[in-house]
Amino acid sequence: MKNSKFILIILVPMMTFFLYACANTSSVARIHPEAVKGLPNCNECHTDSWGALNHQAPDFMAKHSIYAGSKFACASCHQESFCVDCHAHKEEIKPSDKYFNSPERSLPHRGDYLSQHKIDGKINPASCFKCHGRQNNEGCVTCHK
Amino acid sequence: MKSHDSRKSPFAIFPQTLIMAGGIAAACSLLLSAPVCADLTAISVESNTILRMGTTTDKKDIYPLYEYLRLSVSSTEKDGSTTSLHVGGWARGDLGDKSARDRYTDADLQYGYLSFQGARNNLVINAGRQFVNEGVATQRLDGLYVRNDFAAGFAAAAFVGSPVVTEPNLKADDFVFGGRVTQGNYKYYTIGVSALKSYSNNADYREEEGIDLWLHPIKQVDVTGRSSYNSITNGWMEHAYTASFAPIDNLRLYADFSNINYKDYFYKVTTTALVFNPLTNGIDPNEVLTTLGAGVSYAVLKNLTVAADYKHYDYDIARNADYYGGKVTYAMPDSFGTGLSIHRMDGKNDRLKFTEYRLYATKKLGKTDLTLDLIDLNYDSTTTTNNVKNAVTVVVAGSYECSKSLQLGASVDYSHNPFFDNEVKGLVKLTYRFDMNRSAEGGTKSEK
Repeated sequence: MKNSKFILIILVPMMTFFLYACANTSSVARIHPEAVKGLPNCNECHTDSWGALNHQAPDFMAKHSIYAGSKFACASCHQESFCVDCHAHKEEIKPSDKYFNSPERSLPHRGDYLSQHKIDGKINPASCFKCHGRQNNEGCVTCHK
Repeated sequence: MKSHDSRKSPFAIFPQTLIMAGGIAAACSLLLSAPVCADLTAISVESNTILRMGTTTDKKDIYPLYEYLRLSVSSTEKDGSTTSLHVGGWARGDLGDKSARDRYTDADLQYGYLSFQGARNNLVINAGRQFVNEGVATQRLDGLYVRNDFAAGFAAAAFVGSPVVTEPNLKADDFVFGGRVTQGNYKYYTIGVSALKSYSNNADYREEEGIDLWLHPIKQVDVTGRSSYNSITNGWMEHAYTASFAPIDNLRLYADFSNINYKDYFYKVTTTALVFNPLTNGIDPNEVLTTLGAGVSYAVLKNLTVAADYKHYDYDIARNADYYGGKVTYAMPDSFGTGLSIHRMDGKNDRLKFTEYRLYATKKLGKTDLTLDLIDLNYDSTTTTNNVKNAVTVVVAGSYECSKSLQLGASVDYSHNPFFDNEVKGLVKLTYRFDMNRSAEGGTKSEK
């Protein structure tokens, strides 16, 4: 029963679309045509939906997982390593330590996080789960045996 | 102890590292020979050599030396399609006591995949170790990923492989597949439906479905969100939605809502840190958390922004909390930047009462960057760890651009916190970058 639901949701539409014609549109640029420094405000140049990707917006971090559904667009400015710095795999150095000269960036675990993680984990453990829980448990296993 | 766990791989009879190394070597050979037929070949290498210095809570003096190496080779054809290889990993050797996992040395391949990107339809085919983010899937896997745009605004993505799991306390899955179908108009909206299924030793492990959306009906309004459903526990895992409204260029209002059912959301984890028990960690596994937040930011001047935010945490079982505060930032790219923020966590629970202060500043002087970062957490509670109510961390850092390719930096952290009366940590970082033929296509990609 569950398997049939899964097949309905994914496989049937995909088969339909594969049988359908391709969009035949040009792919997003591999490399952003203008070099960008710091946290860009995409609205400065883009008047369409790309302007919504304004990295200076205070709610950008909350939304970036949805924007990253178009990862090929992120890739025009960011290397794969950019995602990996936070969405890490077996990482031993905190992102904020590695990029100590970028205090303006929203990097997790700044300051004395050994104490603070016990509080953040109680407030909203789902915030931990984006990067820990199924992978990158190296820091957890030191104490959580 | 295994560095990662991907049991029951069809290639399990071969050592995985050899398979990976062989694949990377073969891919490099192919791509480096590509200039003969390719319109443009680009090579990008970044090396970060990092030495950390510090003392652990169990009084060990640690001096781990790391080498982070990142390689990207791409070959672009005349029609615009690109074949590329992306590899990133690190190695560590301890110059003092063992710094992690009771080993003097360690290493890891963080990602390594071969990618083909079509000139049309945003076709992407990736094979290897990669990070997949498609609806309910936020998954690192050793496997295959394909996406393509279709007619009428439709697009589809599919993935299959072995989940990359590290340091599991608990049993993990060994095979995962799934996909996402979207329909949208890139100017106005995208709506997606996604699902994934995974197995552990041929038994069901995860089965999740979700919807996600990105609405941008007019320039001033932007809405994102997702809901995900756990078909094994038959419950909604998460609803998370955000909306923003920018009536004028320098004013932005935003709000967010989320609802998380712990029983369904944390159904399968591989660390005991996220196994809840009211007696051991004070969290009920049947907890339901609902958050409601709002904020406003206003750019007083082009470089000066003031912002305020508020979030209410409502728990079905635990006691509620409110988080609110403000922030002022001033930023002049390539010159000077500073920020000051004050936030208050005001919970009914004694442990959720604290005030956090942060002040940072960066200054560029020629080829030198200087950074100061101060974070202070002031706990109200008298039940804090070791009765320390105030935790303060000060980071002083500097870096020097020796050449366009070479940068040397260092930071010193001082901290007074519940675990250390006076903790001093140091970090030295040498960065080397090599890019070839990037300028032929325009801007360069950022590692930052």
